[in-house]
Amino acid sequence: MAHAEAAAKFNENEAKVNWHDKALWFVRQKRDKQAHKIQGWEQLRDYASALKANVLSNLDNYLVQFEENAKKNGVTVHWAANAEEHNKIVHSILQKHNAKKIVKSKSMLTEECHLNPFLEANDIEVIDTDLGERIVQLAQEPPSHIVLPAIHKTKEEVDELFQEHLGTKPSGGNPEYLTREARKHLRNKFLQADAAITGVNFAVADTGGFVVCTNEGNADMGAHLAKVHIACMGMEKLIPQEKHLGIFLRLLARSATGQPITTYSSYFNKPEEGKEMHIVIVDNGRTEQLSREDFRRSLHCIRCGACMNTCPIYRRSGGHSYDATIPGPIGSILSPGKDLTKHSSLPFASTLCGSCSDVCPVKINIHEQLYKWRQIIVKDVPQPFVKKNIMKAVGSILAKPKTYDFVGKSTRFMLKNTPKSLINSKINTWGHARDLPEVKGDNFEEWYKKKTEK
Amino acid sequence: MSRESILNAVKANKPEALPLPDIDLSVFDEDINLIERFKENIEFVGGRLLELDGLDTLDIEIKALYPEATKIVSCMKESALGTVPVSKDTDPHTLEDIDLTIIKGNYAVAENGAVWVSEDDIIVRALPFITNDLILVVPKNAVNLHMHQVFDAISERERTFGVFISGPSKTADIEQCLVVGAHGAISLTVVLY
Repeated sequence: MAHAEAAAKFNENEAKVNWHDKALWFVRQKRDKQAHKIQGWEQLRDYASALKANVLSNLDNYLVQFEENAKKNGVTVHWAANAEEHNKIVHSILQKHNAKKIVKSKSMLTEECHLNPFLEANDIEVIDTDLGERIVQLAQEPPSHIVLPAIHKTKEEVDELFQEHLGTKPSGGNPEYLTREARKHLRNKFLQADAAITGVNFAVADTGGFVVCTNEGNADMGAHLAKVHIACMGMEKLIPQEKHLGIFLRLLARSATGQPITTYSSYFNKPEEGKEMHIVIVDNGRTEQLSREDFRRSLHCIRCGACMNTCPIYRRSGGHSYDATIPGPIGSILSPGKDLTKHSSLPFASTLCGSCSDVCPVKINIHEQLYKWRQIIVKDVPQPFVKKNIMKAVGSILAKPKTYDFVGKSTRFMLKNTPKSLINSKINTWGHARDLPEVKGDNFEEWYKKKTEK
Repeated sequence: MSRESILNAVKANKPEALPLPDIDLSVFDEDINLIERFKENIEFVGGRLLELDGLDTLDIEIKALYPEATKIVSCMKESALGTVPVSKDTDPHTLEDIDLTIIKGNYAVAENGAVWVSEDDIIVRALPFITNDLILVVPKNAVNLHMHQVFDAISERERTFGVFISGPSKTADIEQCLVVGAHGAISLTVVLY
């Protein structure tokens, strides 16, 4: 289903859309407050962007350096070309330890690779331990946001889910009570787990260590209790040196949720005595994206979600409407690189207002890349007949000042004098769910002339 | 083994070399009261700050804050409140019912209310997470302005495991309502002395 159709579905419940829109905008405002609170925010972004650009231009050497250092630390490093290989590697490590019960903290990469269904098919229990991820796991849905996985759920929906799956009492959706119950439920899972899987926020080439950031403490509860810790990382998560963590840790949580830093920023270098640590480095289309000059900067992404929180389209269409692991503006420039046909509607799910690029902590030119994908898509993917021809017609009107003037006049006349029922009819897409602007009389040129003649 | 094919593909696809940026840390300088800023932030992230003149009264203060705590782990010789001994060989699963843990923190960060603790300070890695309540004890002169200074200060250590802890564990995953106490510690007190 194209994005617009899925978004229309989400918009059937207007009250929920309004809540979703406001909730995310509130997160965006918190981000602004935090960004303005410290000295040198823009310099931080510049440095982060330059660091990521340096990493991508030297990625092979950094990867080798990281592997070498991680091995010295007693960590086993694996390489996976694609999702299938990643899943097999994880499975083989689990098999080796006869691990049947797994706890997993948030990792968009394992979502991307569809690790959970793969392991479940192999008779392994995987429990997502981030509360938001646990909620969507129980609901058998994918996350709709990379930082706030269950942002599309109301507290009443969560209440019902927990009654059904965790045996909680009806509480009318009391967040305190539900969180306490989830803590108990997941505490047991942590204590029984044979192995823990985490994502990787940053991997440090010059130490071979990696950092995992959470607010809930779930990554640490998993990793420090289980005998085996498997960390799955996209290859672009590397940064050159440990001191650069300072730059990225200052940016990440401020951009993501408006916190000065996540509650826990855990830095793993060596496995604990008597335990095993594995890192799986995953490509899965990243080297291909690296080859695309116009789009490689999308690999700067540190998965903070700021572009989603600010995006007027995302806020009003919901993460599921993108039908991709990474939704929102950043997802709309990453996904077409993976499957252009499937995701061809995503670069059009944007007003090109540029707000995403403005808040991006690593300065990805997201809106420019959206525009560039559009250029490619209209060449490669057949466009709907109406859209194509309307674009052509409008193009020719805009190219001729006299025609433009005439059409403008007639449009203003029509807008003024046509009955609303016709304006908001099925034929006029612009009239769906929105009132067209009130016509003031003159166009700019006429207005300007009058003003200057006085 | 996909290692070679991945590395070869990266080599073929990567852009021309771009230099590492020279990072001028002076752009992040701020002339502020570090302790004040730290206090602001620790409260903002849901923690509590206790300022003492020395550690003589530490145990009395802790007792007053957590009168109910019975199963206590103390990881510092300055506190005699420990009732549960913990060593490198302790199975972390046995720490499930610990009420309170007292740990020495090496560095604090004014800009975000975080405290850096490393494996040596926590004995068993799970401890600061699995404990119900957590106390981090940090010298006043170890409060730094920002993360860059702390990374510089810890650059010579032996690297095993370390963590920046900023406040108690929390979540806002249910309708964006902030709930303190997710999977890690339910409360956090930082003692500055």
